[in-house]
Parts: sequence; structure tokens; C-alpha cells
Amino acid sequence: MNEHDELFESVALLALGVLPEAEATAVAAHVRDCAQCRAEYAELRSAADALGYAAEADAALIGGADCKRLKARVMDAAATATPARRSSDTIVPLRRAPAAFASPGRTAWLAYAAAAAALIVAIVSSANYGVLKKQYLAEQNDVARASDLQARVAAMLVPGSRYYAIPQGEVVENDGRIIFALRGLPDAGPGKVYQAWTLAAGAKTMAPSVTFVPDRGGITLIELPRSAAPLAAVAVSVEPAGGSKAPTSTPTFVRKLT
Amino acid sequence: MALVRERDAGAFEALYDAYYRVVYGIGVKMLGEAAAAEDLTQAVFLKIWTSPQAYREGNFGAWVSRVTRNRALDVLRGRAVRPESEIPHDATMEGSLDETVFAMIDGERVRAALATLPEEQRRPIELGFFGGITHEEIARRTQTPLGTIKTRIRTGLHKLRAALEGSAAR
Repeated sequence: MNEHDELFESVALLALGVLPEAEATAVAAHVRDCAQCRAEYAELRSAADALGYAAEADAALIGGADCKRLKARVMDAAATATPARRSSDTIVPLRRAPAAFASPGRTAWLAYAAAAAALIVAIVSSANYGVLKKQYLAEQNDVARASDLQARVAAMLVPGSRYYAIPQGEVVENDGRIIFALRGLPDAGPGKVYQAWTLAAGAKTMAPSVTFVPDRGGITLIELPRSAAPLAAVAVSVEPAGGSKAPTSTPTFVRKLT
Repeated sequence: MALVRERDAGAFEALYDAYYRVVYGIGVKMLGEAAAAEDLTQAVFLKIWTSPQAYREGNFGAWVSRVTRNRALDVLRGRAVRPESEIPHDATMEGSLDETVFAMIDGERVRAALATLPEEQRRPIELGFFGGITHEEIARRTQTPLGTIKTRIRTGLHKLRAALEGSAAR
């Protein structure tokens, strides 16, 4: 069996989206240059895309009240959203872990984050990844992630930032901006995500903030939405996917911002 | 979509009404709970509203399905980049299901088409698409040789396509 035959067998797996990343990259590269595999891919990809409809929910099952509430929620969010590059509500950091973390200190963190941001930008702009670049530019959110990451790294480097150590990394605060730089976070588990919490000065209960999932190396670099009031503390806990209104598990950490 | 690109809120609402059951349904199936599916629904439609240029051509329903699955995979895997996006967009168009076929697709038709597949082909396809796992994991879970899983997925997808085209022709 020659290379084409071997790769041709994997085209269906690529179309279904079930190949591991490295293998998918190799098969995709072949598909780009092989008319036969490209035709096979197009044929099976559209069948795979149609699969989503198998999950189409019956409006009656969602529930009339919930249907209306969900629609109102989406329309409200759209009304306040600006047509800009932005990441999803659930923040997904870079998936690639650093090769090594020699130092757990801030310098190592920033070096990693800067390198990771540069990596994304490099991938986006590299001539060797022309097609990937094209797709990246089309997928606005992926590019936005790179931009967001760069912004977060820059915010961490701003003079006057305050750094609050936690076992999993640092919380960085600067002029009301809060950034979590975390490492070594284990996978939250099936159907679970990490959720950030904020405690406004003078408040007695934590307010829910963003949900996020670490990358495969347990790395997280996220910025919390700005709080209207000064914050006295922040925390993170594991919650069901979609987040909770109040913490339902023992916090991964709680850090006073004093 | 052309109207949505021009910030027509009414067009966006119509788009929501037409596709929210697919988006929400994929969310429930992949993430396993209503709250997560609602978050996913909001994220997907906000992407459509804030980045309408991300959709360029082809069947909109297919695009929404793909975007929704990828978003759900983000949650499940914490992945930010999907290698299949390296495929040139043009390549996804040649030989795609005819637009008129896709226009007739709904949940009932796809479920009926899936039901025509033998269990041994349907299960790995559903595990891969909705479970967000690799073919190697599918092989492990079903205790089936890797090569057999490859063949079953390929054969199953070809049959599914044929069944969908046949369904539309009736």
C-alpha cells in the first residue's frame, strides 16, 4: 500500500473530525494536493456536516418558556455586542503546553505566554502555512484569541501591576484588570469547566465570572470581565459546563487582592 | 446572511428561529446538559452576529452545524485549533451535498437516514461526531480493530450521504 492509499483511508476520518491532530494535519496536507482525496473529502464532509441535524431539538422538548427565555437571552446579548473580534464566553486558552517549566516564577510565565502568543501569530502569518493562515483569517475567533492573548500578556507587563501568588500561578491586577496566569490545572473532568468568581469589596457573596478550560498542559491565561466595583478577592472552582450561579465545589483557590 | 452582515436585527432573529434547534440540540447531545447547551447557543449566535464574515459560502446549515460542533469540542477538549480547518474552503464545496438536498434536511430526515445504517457503522460515526473522540478511542471503546473502524466510518458516511440524497429525491 503506497502513501496515497494509506492517506485515502483516513480521509473519511478527517471529514468526520475524529483524527488526532498530528494525523489530521498530515492527511489535510495530502488532501490539498490530491484531487481524488479532495473529492472524497468533499463528499463525506457534507454528509458529516448533516449529522448535526440528527440532534435537532424539538421546540416542545426545550419547553415554551425556556425557548422564549433563551431567545431573549441571545437577542439581548446580540443587542449589546459589537461586531468585533471576540472570544467565546467560555474562554479556551492555548492548547500547547510549554516544553518545560524550569521556573515556576513570573518570568517563566511571561516568557511562556509571550512565546505562545508569538507562536500563534507566527502560525497565522507564516508563509509555510499559507492555507492555515487563510483559514485563520476566516475564523475570526481564532485570530481574536491570539490578539486577546497578546493583550493579556501586555497587560501583565504594564508597570504598576500587582501580583498575587497562588499555588497554581499568579493573579495579576492592574487598574481594575484581573488576569489569571495558571499552570498545572488538571482537566476539570467530563462535562465540567473551571469558573472564576469575584468578591466585590464589601460584598458577602461571590459573583460568577467567566468559565474556562485549561489547555492540555494545564495552562490558562485569561482576563476576567471588568468589575464595576473594586474587588476584594477572586476564586476559581470546578463547575458544570456552562457555569453556576454560585460555587458548587470546594474552590481550587481563593485569593484576597490585598 | 447578507442582511445579517448589514446588521439587520430582524434577519438575525429569523436566522435564530431557523437554526436554534439544531444548535441547541447539538449542545445538549455533546455537552449533556441544558445549561451548557444554552451557553453554546448564545456563543454560536453571537459569533454569527459579531463575525458574520466568518461565513463565506456554501450551505449555511452545514456551516452552523460545523461551527456548533467545533464550539462544543472547545468545551469538551479545551482545543482552540482544529486541523481540519486546514482544508481549503473550495475543497469542501466540490461534490458537497446539493444545495436543494441540504435545503430539505431536517432532524427527522437525518435520523431516518442514520437509521438505515447498520449499528456497526452508525455507532462509530455517532461516537465520533457527538462524542468528540478520535477514531483510536472509538476503536478502544467498541473493542474493534482500528482498520475496521476506519472502513466502517467511511462506508457509513458514504451510505449516509446516499440515504440523504435518496430522502430528498422522494
